[in-house]
Amino acid sequence: MTTQMQAKVYAEDVNIGDDIPALTTAPVTHLQLVRYAGASGDFNPLHTDPKIGERMGTGGIIAHGMLIMGFVGQMLSDYVEPQALRKFGVRFKGMTRLNDVITCSGKITEKYEVDGEVRIAGTLQAADQNGDVKVSGTFVAAVPRRNA
Amino acid sequence: MFDKSKIGQSFAPFTYEVQRNKIHELTTAIGDPNPIYHSREAAQEAGLPDVPISPTSPTLFNFWGNRQRGSSLAEVGIDVSRILHGEEEYEYIAPIYPNDVLTGTTTLVDGKTRQGSGGYTMDILTMETRYLNQHNQHVLNTRATVVVRN
Repeated sequence: MTTQMQAKVYAEDVNIGDDIPALTTAPVTHLQLVRYAGASGDFNPLHTDPKIGERMGTGGIIAHGMLIMGFVGQMLSDYVEPQALRKFGVRFKGMTRLNDVITCSGKITEKYEVDGEVRIAGTLQAADQNGDVKVSGTFVAAVPRRNA
Repeated sequence: MFDKSKIGQSFAPFTYEVQRNKIHELTTAIGDPNPIYHSREAAQEAGLPDVPISPTSPTLFNFWGNRQRGSSLAEVGIDVSRILHGEEEYEYIAPIYPNDVLTGTTTLVDGKTRQGSGGYTMDILTMETRYLNQHNQHVLNTRATVVVRN
């Protein structure tokens, strides 16, 4: 792929152990979940209808796990270009409820070369205001050399 | 409870035309203000041909593109209303832009039944979807693991 884009981060600037700049989102609201359902096409009523939430024993509505992955994705594409991502995966570990404030963070764990392309890999996490982990994951991205 | 004989089964392919406005809607719902997701002009100013897909845009292809998702799951014995999301993983192979027409084929790649602590059983299923674009180029793999409490 050819691109004249100004890279956000260059291979020379990334070191194993670096933190990815963290992202803290606004509190999760019911309206946001309704909006996310409409946008994503995931209309499972567990995420929008408080009565279903009560019946399922989740104690009210819970956020779409994919919304939380979306927050982590926002952090990632603030750090590297979205087209630089090669892999992005998460495991959903806990339910997110209304008014939770999610903080996403990440750390670089590997830097290597594949077919002349420098790649970085790292671990990711999203946790709420109490430190309860909602999502943990990993990613791989390609980063350009400064004088490529 | 799901039918183990269905492991390895692929479902009917589906198509999805990538739309700029859906990427805008999804990133708006997430609260991501990055201008490249919201206007073609901003994306072009950043040196891109058009609005790029955001990291979790493949969820659009899975939900809006795969309209038979519910019936595919029912076909292997899963009650869609009891699904919880366990894992989600994307492998981005080539760039995807608005107006690309993707064809996705979903395969049930793994499944097991576990005894839960409350005396019930849980099915854990993994589905992979392989996406080709209109040029038959392989552009994306997605992998989702769901947990179904029986």
